[in-house]
Amino acid sequence: MSLKGRSAIIGFGETTFAKGRQSGGRSHLKEQCTAARLAIQDAGIAKDEIDGLVAIGPLDHGSSWSMDLAEYLQLRPTFLDTPYFGGAAGNAGILHAAAAIQAGLCRTVLLVGGSVSQPGPPAPYGVEDSVSFERDFDTPFGPMGDNSAYALIKRRYQHEFGAGEEGFAQVVVNARRHAGRFDNALLRAPVTVDDVLHSRLICDPLRMFEIVMPCTGAVALVLTSAERARDARQKPVYLLGGGQAIDRGMWTPAYGRDPSLTTSPIRRSASAAFAMAGVTIADIDCLQLYDCYTITVIIALEDVGCCAKGEGAALVAGTDLTVGGDLPVNTDGGQLGRGQPYGACHFMPVIETARQLMGRAGPLQVAGARFGLAHGNGGAMANQCTLILGNEIP
Amino acid sequence: MSADTPCAKPLPQILPETAGFWEAARRHRFVVQRCTGCGRRQYFPRAVCHHCLSEALAWEEVSGRGVIHSFTIIRQVQHAGFSSDVPYVYAVIDLDEGFRMIANIIRTPPECVRVGLAVKVAFADVTPELTLLQFESA
Repeated sequence: MSLKGRSAIIGFGETTFAKGRQSGGRSHLKEQCTAARLAIQDAGIAKDEIDGLVAIGPLDHGSSWSMDLAEYLQLRPTFLDTPYFGGAAGNAGILHAAAAIQAGLCRTVLLVGGSVSQPGPPAPYGVEDSVSFERDFDTPFGPMGDNSAYALIKRRYQHEFGAGEEGFAQVVVNARRHAGRFDNALLRAPVTVDDVLHSRLICDPLRMFEIVMPCTGAVALVLTSAERARDARQKPVYLLGGGQAIDRGMWTPAYGRDPSLTTSPIRRSASAAFAMAGVTIADIDCLQLYDCYTITVIIALEDVGCCAKGEGAALVAGTDLTVGGDLPVNTDGGQLGRGQPYGACHFMPVIETARQLMGRAGPLQVAGARFGLAHGNGGAMANQCTLILGNEIP
Repeated sequence: MSADTPCAKPLPQILPETAGFWEAARRHRFVVQRCTGCGRRQYFPRAVCHHCLSEALAWEEVSGRGVIHSFTIIRQVQHAGFSSDVPYVYAVIDLDEGFRMIANIIRTPPECVRVGLAVKVAFADVTPELTLLQFESA
């Protein structure tokens, strides 16, 4: 039994993203409630039709977030989930919801995530409440949070494949180019490869512009059964395939079962998703790849099959990956162009895929898009979840 | 915290399943677990063998030699306890025995650190009970 074509996205909504210091008067709950209202209105359904809830809370909140949001919104779901493992959690939540819909546990699921970003640097990871092996065998050596974990991956990638900086910088140039034409993006000013290469070295070889900026915002979407979707106001965007794979714990990149820092579990998550969907990478019209750092886009391009291992940086440097080009990637600007609202970023790739496949992407519309790939990345490329969506069922 | 109170670095906690590792480190020995059930070894120390889930684990000394798999130079700290250390090298080490671990590269100028550099363990006494396993150029 497969999830292919059995559920569909019928609506989505987003709050207006804001920088941390401009987030006065906003709260985690308020952000998520606003996004939920916009998604429910967009889907054209009654609130009482929601019988499933997948909610991702702020980073510092425990795993009861979906219960707490259900209480706050007075929902009575028969299916609840709070996937809690970083950027793969949104797509995983879609898979969980699709399975629950198919199994008859519920019919229409609201998925929501987002938070308010506090000004100032994020709290160090691995100090207060991390798992004991991270606390005891990583944190004592002074990691710089996500930055040092991704710096290790980028350094190793450049060592193995002799990749220079241009491909990495071009990821940022592309993101800003799209963001400049996307209303709900915070980093709209264009940049050049030179600008990126001259941005401050934060955690070498990572430079400032290669690292996402945390921000405030929430997003939500409505997933329902394919039967219910047929009567929906919006053009349904069907879930065609999905897969998840991990090869290490959340952060510490040293303890992998797979010895490679540069080949990610995306190979397995994408293979599973394509196999379920019955399409190949050649059928995909746009890709939305979780881009907390430039290196994630380059490794994801390779591991979903756009090019051979080690050629991702050259692919970005030598191919037009923007709307109108050969292979449009991160057509809303991604997180490098829009900012990263924690919890919302988990759903941004799937929402942009739905926007494209519904034909609602305005100036950034990929003409005639039928199939899209949405990818989520959690931890230091440890946990990967890939979805294939389509506005038709092949 | 007042300016004259230096922020302490985060330290490992000694657990029943890791006590043997830290006791050996205190004596400047690097040990890993070998499973007396299936005969295989593992790092970091765990309550069970991750190969066969046996709890029958013994300690065995390893060479403490390896190469740098990847590294970064930290110039801006996230935890204030490391403020006086910057710039410092945070690295992934591949041990000759096949294990992979995180450590700092000490007593080696950061500009001399590169992927593939041969390194050896350097025991860094932190408290009377705790010694960290750091690495230096071999």
